[in-house]
Amino acid sequence: MKLSVMQENLARGLGVVSRAVSTRSTLPVLANVLLRTEDAGLKLTATNLEIGITSWVPGKIDTDGALTVPARLITDVVSGLPAGERVDLEVDGTTLFIKAGRYQTHLRGIDAEEFPVIPAAGDRPTTRVSQKLMRQALSEVAFAAATEEARPILTGVLTRFVGDRLTLAAADNYRIAVKSLPILDAVEETTLVVPARSYQELMRILGDTDDPVEIMLASSKSQVLFHVEGTELVSRLIDGQFPNYQQVLPGSHASRAVVDREDLLKAVRLSGLIASSAANVIRLRLGEDGSAGITIAAAADVGDAEGEVEAAIEGDAVTIAFNARYLTEALQNIDADQLALEFSGPLSPGVIKPMDDPDYVHVIMPVRTPS
Amino acid sequence: MKPAARTSPTILHVDLDAFFAAVEQRDRPELRGKPVIVGGGGPNDRGVVSAASYEARRFGVRSAMPLRTAGRLCPTGIFVPVDGAKYGRVSVQVMAILRRFTPKVEPVSIDEAFLDVAGTEALWGPSESVARAIKSAVHTEVGLTISVGVATTKLVAKVASDLRKPDGLVVVEPGTEAAFLAPLAIERLWGVGAASRRVLADYGVTTIGDLAALPTDVLSRRFGSQGAVLAERALGRDPSPVGDGEVAKSVSHEHTFDVDTAEWDVLERTLLALSEGVAGRLRAGGVKAGTVAVKIRDTEFVTVTRQRTLPAPTDLTEPIWRTAVALARPEVRGMTVRLLGVAATHLTDREQMSLFGEEGGRQRKAVEAADAIRERFGARAITRARLLRSGIAQPFERDPLHSPEARRIGQRRLDGDARPDRGRDT
Repeated sequence: MKLSVMQENLARGLGVVSRAVSTRSTLPVLANVLLRTEDAGLKLTATNLEIGITSWVPGKIDTDGALTVPARLITDVVSGLPAGERVDLEVDGTTLFIKAGRYQTHLRGIDAEEFPVIPAAGDRPTTRVSQKLMRQALSEVAFAAATEEARPILTGVLTRFVGDRLTLAAADNYRIAVKSLPILDAVEETTLVVPARSYQELMRILGDTDDPVEIMLASSKSQVLFHVEGTELVSRLIDGQFPNYQQVLPGSHASRAVVDREDLLKAVRLSGLIASSAANVIRLRLGEDGSAGITIAAAADVGDAEGEVEAAIEGDAVTIAFNARYLTEALQNIDADQLALEFSGPLSPGVIKPMDDPDYVHVIMPVRTPS
Repeated sequence: MKPAARTSPTILHVDLDAFFAAVEQRDRPELRGKPVIVGGGGPNDRGVVSAASYEARRFGVRSAMPLRTAGRLCPTGIFVPVDGAKYGRVSVQVMAILRRFTPKVEPVSIDEAFLDVAGTEALWGPSESVARAIKSAVHTEVGLTISVGVATTKLVAKVASDLRKPDGLVVVEPGTEAAFLAPLAIERLWGVGAASRRVLADYGVTTIGDLAALPTDVLSRRFGSQGAVLAERALGRDPSPVGDGEVAKSVSHEHTFDVDTAEWDVLERTLLALSEGVAGRLRAGGVKAGTVAVKIRDTEFVTVTRQRTLPAPTDLTEPIWRTAVALARPEVRGMTVRLLGVAATHLTDREQMSLFGEEGGRQRKAVEAADAIRERFGARAITRARLLRSGIAQPFERDPLHSPEARRIGQRRLDGDARPDRGRDT
């Protein structure tokens, strides 16, 4: 293998794929990045066996070949080379020779044959979604997935294609976020559960553009593949049945408050300072119909706190307690200025909806407090 | 909150004498005056002594001693099975009597309690009179003798009650605490276990007075933050107030191994037993734990504690055990462990409601059924198969405020380490 690439292109490609490098694997080759010449360019691949990321770097190829080298090392070396410099790469056996200007280095690698096979894309995309819409949807949903392995299915994001719409849903046992968005190509009904961690990585790859991300289901149906210009992410899927979330989304409410997201977030954070010293519970109090504010309060051994946020309130008065963390995370991640909060009593799920987005809903279960 | 210095001794420590054995002797006149050993199924059982009558103690029988050893020491001993439910009922009766004298009663275990009688002088007279009235009430109404220590601090009252057992009454006047403690053997001091004692022996410390005379910086160097606490205790100073039944800040169980061990299977099983005990006490108290901590002490007496906040508060054994195992596993690698402890902190009586039904709904049903069986038939009526023959004391036998070690050497002493942790490192 012998080729030349531009330093900034190689550095960018390594930066993208190194997110998938396994940092603590018993398989040494997983700490490496695979370099392989392909279609008049250099293909970089890394995987931790849950996700694999591939990136294509344009280059001038003299001879074809492949090798894996330690990902961390080559990324650091290449990013340290002068920008705008041409980088010559040459493989001799299991050694990679890198030369740029007056700098040169030899990196010892592992044979490319030992690198796991990453499933290739099918010929045709299953469907396409605007990168911008997908990224926004994931940022509003993926954080709600469980991080505990106690129920593996909940560490994934339900990804359900029906007709020309995609629905994403993530939940742990105490909250759920659901978002629906349009897709560009109608598909037959398909349901996948994608690890939330894979989606966190996908969010980094997606751009702030209406250009689509192509989504392909590998023929084995055990993997899903996302493709954008120059980069591909393959993720394994989680086996199992995602809980029937629709039955836990409340259909009606008895109290409703419309409130500024930033204001509410600030008040929740302030009360959260007190709450975090104990069980991290804060109370929201909505007054009678027509009252003008929500009270956010917390009490613990270290002291207590109370704040009020301006709001337009309809319906019954209610006091409801939540884990401050769940409320904070929802308010941080929902992409809207104005929110509607809907409650049906202190022991029923609380609902948060953006005022300008009928396609998103967030539900948090309350905390039962002794009367 | 630090209480103001007291001008009269108003803190009482009340301790039932040889409690389980005394209850059996009370109910079965034929046992009176005989060496009675309460615990398990007799001298061939693998269990340990839960209590021994004073007659049995004369043979050297002690609490927490293997029953076989007790049988060897005291061949004429009469072995009686533990009747936890009965002792529980008697304990409730005694605590009720104590509460007639002051609302500030802090039960420490099934057979002892602290009382603060400040402000009751108009009703009952000086503390010594209250102590006599309590002794007489317990004797006539329940038929048991108690020993009472009266002092200005819990620490000194506890030492005092232990001094003239059985049926003792020792009053330590304000200002004489340090002088009272000085001649006493160091192991009588709250928080000094066998290991601390060995270390202190290197400094020539055998009495509490020797400890008080030791420069504080020497103690701090050797014992860290505990050093200053030890120095204060040696002078009889103890800022802790008598709690009046408020929710505990933490629940912890500890186990000191008879033989230090590095076997992961033994450690894991011990963590299970400790988690089971902690979870049981959480359920009994109607609270859930937000945080789980483990304490690991190695042969060299180096202690580490690690804690983790749970995704949701719990009062079930499994999540507590899982967390304890996850915390302990990386720490014990290559270590020979002397003591393990599991603590539940950030206790809450609030319940996070769940979206898809509670995690471990079946587990909850199982533990509730097991709790009901224990309540009806005693603590040994049901246990986990994995804990059978594990040699770890049952939660009921184990008293969290007394290290098993303390009981092994036959001394009932508060172990400072088992108290709600303060200033724990993470």
